[in-house]
Amino acid sequence: MRVAILLLAFSGLYRAQATDVTFDRLIHAQQDPGEWLTYWGDYHANRFRDLSQINDQNVAHLRLEWLFQTGGSGAFEAVPLVVDGVMYFTTPDTGIDAIDARSGRLLWRYQYTIPKGAKYCCGTVNRGLAILGRRLFMLTPDTRLLAIDIRNGSLLWNVEVASSKVGAYGGTEAPLIVKDKVVLGTAAGDYGIRGFVDAYEAQTGKRVWRFWTIPASGEPGNETWGGDSWKHGGAATWMTGTYDSELNTVYWGIGNPAPNLYGARRPGDNLYSDSVVALDPDTGKLKWYFQFTPHDTHDYDATETPMLVDLPWQGRIRKLLLEANRNGFFYVLDRETGQFLLAKAFAKQTWAKAIDNKGRPIMAPNIEPTSEGTVVCPQCAGATNWMAPSYNPLTRLFYVNVREGCDIFFSEPPVYKEGTSYWATNFRAEAQEHQAGRVTAIEPLTGETKWKFPLYSSPWAGTLTTAGNLVFAGDEDGYLMALQADTGRLLWKVNTGSRLVTSPVTYQLDGKQYLTMPAGGVVLTFALP
Amino acid sequence: MGKRRSHAIRNVTLAMSLMLVAPISSLSSEEWGRGQAIFNSNCAICHGRDGSGGRGPNLLGSLKHGALNSDIEIVIRNGLPGAAMPKFNLEEEELHALIRYVQSLRHAAPSTLHAGGDRTAGKQLYDSQGCPSCHEIGNEGSTLGPNLTRIGASRSYEYLKTSIVDPSADVPEENRYLKIVTRDGRQFQGMWVNEDSFTVQIRLRDESFASFDKQNLKEVLHEKDSLMPNYRFKDADLKNLLAYLSSLVGAPSPASETQRKRRQR
Repeated sequence: MRVAILLLAFSGLYRAQATDVTFDRLIHAQQDPGEWLTYWGDYHANRFRDLSQINDQNVAHLRLEWLFQTGGSGAFEAVPLVVDGVMYFTTPDTGIDAIDARSGRLLWRYQYTIPKGAKYCCGTVNRGLAILGRRLFMLTPDTRLLAIDIRNGSLLWNVEVASSKVGAYGGTEAPLIVKDKVVLGTAAGDYGIRGFVDAYEAQTGKRVWRFWTIPASGEPGNETWGGDSWKHGGAATWMTGTYDSELNTVYWGIGNPAPNLYGARRPGDNLYSDSVVALDPDTGKLKWYFQFTPHDTHDYDATETPMLVDLPWQGRIRKLLLEANRNGFFYVLDRETGQFLLAKAFAKQTWAKAIDNKGRPIMAPNIEPTSEGTVVCPQCAGATNWMAPSYNPLTRLFYVNVREGCDIFFSEPPVYKEGTSYWATNFRAEAQEHQAGRVTAIEPLTGETKWKFPLYSSPWAGTLTTAGNLVFAGDEDGYLMALQADTGRLLWKVNTGSRLVTSPVTYQLDGKQYLTMPAGGVVLTFALP
Repeated sequence: MGKRRSHAIRNVTLAMSLMLVAPISSLSSEEWGRGQAIFNSNCAICHGRDGSGGRGPNLLGSLKHGALNSDIEIVIRNGLPGAAMPKFNLEEEELHALIRYVQSLRHAAPSTLHAGGDRTAGKQLYDSQGCPSCHEIGNEGSTLGPNLTRIGASRSYEYLKTSIVDPSADVPEENRYLKIVTRDGRQFQGMWVNEDSFTVQIRLRDESFASFDKQNLKEVLHEKDSLMPNYRFKDADLKNLLAYLSSLVGAPSPASETQRKRRQR
């Protein structure tokens, strides 16, 4: 099939479509830089591509190749997949579009319609698709899992992940394929749910296992929740996990405990909220966990990317897990054992005096939210959040978009009612000032910041890095930009006209490298002239 | 997940006369506490913890958009386009507890009538002191400073008073001015209009716009003080001026609406 594509290319006719995306192809996604096969681009979430046609010497000439109008409105948070010349993405209004990745022309469209009367917590935002075989998988806002035929967008099956009767749940993330299973989680931690990670058979949609992110009464860890608070403790799983095929382990970030800013309702560490959990993808059994923020009262979800990188740590190559956490610290863990190796603040933080040698924070005084308001840094939305970081093995740097600023955290005892928000609390920017941001390059072995590129506003967009010594990043005021990966120097920028709320991807077809970024209701694709 | 945001606030009422609403007969202490919790964490930052206003208007007098529960509900649910009042996404019960709490504050409040002042004399003072050279009312005056067309509805009386005698006491971010120095040493001063990581736009004293590429700038200073001088009026004059400003409750100009929407994005 690949040979056929190549031969046809010479006649100006391009084949685009439909070879099987096997599990093996997904495992080796990073060695296949012409494609973008998973939400993170590869199982380790490095968001690095060994492509250098566009590089720090010529990126200034990058220009618009095509743009595609989805016609949708709302936040375009999806990361497109690029498979055999076809780009697939969820649109801002719960559709799926398949377009020609060379020309931007529509091939087919599937529109998901949320059933009348369905209730769900978290709007219609969607972050994208997973692919296996000839099927795409989408988690819908009303928490259903769909399997779609990649040949024509027809629906193959549609199963319930969580009930949409009362509106307690919501689906926003791109699923993760592991072997023959579709692994995913749910949003709505702030609605007082009990979070979970699920696995479904890709073939049938049948649920294979469920891992509850809050242990039930009698299970280890339940003692970290006072009284019955575990039943409505949140700990949602609203971002896609990562996977190590050699260790056969899935890593999933767990959200904040509920109620988010009112801790008196839930005395204890509140496991496994604000943790990363290592799960066996065959059984859903917990291998280990690491909790970043015990008994969190500032909404510091640990749903940031658990990135997997192998690096020499004190003399030997170790399998590491890197995470720039919402709480303002950059962490390095051993991902075989969960052992804590390093934590270093990458942004202004005032909630912890230090992190001890087990990785547990030593809390600063007077940081609890109150009815009068307490100023704490980082801001409630975090020093970073779900926007993707990236790691470049050539520069050995970790690139993350950072949100600066602090918030005033207010807290009042909330009332739990199923299907409604469980917080009754709020937060506001300190002194109502504009909150800035930056792109930051971190040396993962020390946590030291190598360079910073300032942004006017706190960003919600992620980064991508390539062998062209480039980092692509987006900002809140609409700029897509290219920075030199080793220095942070600005080399190219374009004003897309819309705030950016997802992460760029790159791919190469017929020897031509493309850069794609969704913005507003539009998919923008750039290339060299 | 914590993506809910609230914004800087300003808006609604006018404290000209006190219009009594239905007495609150059946507010349990539990409901009251719940309403207070929601008010304190969402509303107090602009309307004050006692509801008497600040950047946002006084809620204890008559309310420009109506004082019935249903009127207040509409304002909270939808926000006020063109003003800084955002919409609040509250659950049904929270909303009703909040409205009942606001009504209880209003019911308990002493009359907030601000005695006297001559609007006509206030307008004469406004014109003779040169206020229109920086401020616009309706279509009259300069677009340089904050538009005052509905300032009586969007600020409390006390806030307006402070804004005249001590203009730098509280300058909302969108009313700041910038000092800009280019790399070749030229200096510019103007009101902030828009900004991003790479460019900045200001309004110059002659009301024209100027746009700068930040890489050509040596300095961009966001001044926290106001450009407006401190006015030292006699008490009677100040009262007249406040009477005039408090009477300004017209529709916002489309331009100021656009700008505020941008800020609230």
